[in-house]
Amino acid sequence: MNSSNLKTFLTSNVDMDEQIIREHIENLKKIQVKKGNFLLRQGDVCKHSFFVEEGLLKYYSIDEKGKQHILQFAPEGWFVVDRESAFFNQPSQYFIEALEDSVVTMIDVDMFASLSLHNQSFALFNNKLLHNHIRHLQNRINLLLSATAEERYLDFIRIYPDLLLRVPQTLVASYLGITPESLSRVRKDLATKKHQKQ
Amino acid sequence: MAIKNVVSVMAPPEPHFVGDGFRVHNFIPQGSRTGMYRMDPFIMLDYNSAHYFEPSATPRGVGVHPHRGFETVTIAYKGSVAHHDSSGGGGVIGEGDVQWMTAASGVLHKEYHEEQFSKEGGWFQMVQLWVNLPARDKMSAPKYQSITKDQIPRVALPDGHGEVAMIAGAYMDSKGAADTFTPVHLYNAFLHKGGRADFSFPVSYNTALLVVEGSIVINDAETVTTDHFVLFGNAGEDFHITASEDAVVLIMSGEPIKENIVAHGPFVMNNQQEILQAFDDYNQGKFGYLEDQV
Repeated sequence: MNSSNLKTFLTSNVDMDEQIIREHIENLKKIQVKKGNFLLRQGDVCKHSFFVEEGLLKYYSIDEKGKQHILQFAPEGWFVVDRESAFFNQPSQYFIEALEDSVVTMIDVDMFASLSLHNQSFALFNNKLLHNHIRHLQNRINLLLSATAEERYLDFIRIYPDLLLRVPQTLVASYLGITPESLSRVRKDLATKKHQKQ
Repeated sequence: MAIKNVVSVMAPPEPHFVGDGFRVHNFIPQGSRTGMYRMDPFIMLDYNSAHYFEPSATPRGVGVHPHRGFETVTIAYKGSVAHHDSSGGGGVIGEGDVQWMTAASGVLHKEYHEEQFSKEGGWFQMVQLWVNLPARDKMSAPKYQSITKDQIPRVALPDGHGEVAMIAGAYMDSKGAADTFTPVHLYNAFLHKGGRADFSFPVSYNTALLVVEGSIVINDAETVTTDHFVLFGNAGEDFHITASEDAVVLIMSGEPIKENIVAHGPFVMNNQQEILQAFDDYNQGKFGYLEDQV
């Protein structure tokens, strides 16, 4: 497969010579990951940022009772990386696993740093990505601390419009920090409200 | 009139599972490698070739999922399926029955092996066909046509060669059981060994058949065996099939709708905007609500 969503993503977002982008992208390793296979396991050191070309990944932890907590879903066009592990060189507390057969571009964590050093517009773009990521995390923390299950759900469908059709509701509940029963109730309430309005 | 020729005979592609209850070969759009336009208005055909399912305490099947913009036609040859939907409807599709579900503006439904069938296990053989809806009907109200075996009109072929059961459309001036939004002919031909059936469809219609049981010869030239799918060309109107052994053949022919098709998962619309709207409506609960458990 020659097409790369990563290249399209970069060329459409960074004011940078396409040739330079192509040179960097060409050397990146693109791998196929079967559903259920891992890109990162707890205890490993994360060496790459993963860009999802096709498919879907989940980034999660498992607590002492064996319960799964999903930090992030990464469908097509998303990056996922354990920054703590990758940038501070520490064993990861997390797992990254394919939820669907996926195609993933592996980006060496040094590549973004080296591109940023040599190219001002890429540095700006990378900075913007990082701020965007922090904004997303901050919003997520705030919702987990203060929002109702319905508000969290509404935020989820805004960010991930097609995921409900791709992942079991137990995983969505895990991402939202609510029980599957609560999620079911929220969806039922919403459906009832919508029907009453019509 | 001119002969309608066979363009290709396709062996069943590698099966995959839909949920854990349907082991299907996809003939349209992947098997034919021609996408959803080639057989317009038939945009998807999954064929569960005869497969033995071991007894199971928990019924196998597919959990709650939505559809919008088209019709699903489930034809049961062996085994039976129970289904439920968000409007409170439900029922069992048994051997020989057909369920014609117009998803149109949207339904949530789930399909499982019927409870008794699950417990006992057995042979299972089904077709699910998706028939597209024209833009003007995509957002019409959902409806069901539950057609039992004995409600499907049959025409006897001359000389005791067998019979043709008309699910939809018309054959030999007799009308089929289902109402359709655009001209669609859908038959099951049951042929005795040596029996012959003749068909005629307009040149512009897209036409195909699937040999569900036995083997046949088309136009005295092309031998087609069980589980093979045949695509016909769009020149000529007439073809005939002769059974080399007792055979059951699903025959489909329809007038192409000739509109833009944008499909994403369970939604088939005319443009990307309508697909995004479908996701939004689904997320917002506008398709209603249905419990996931059986």
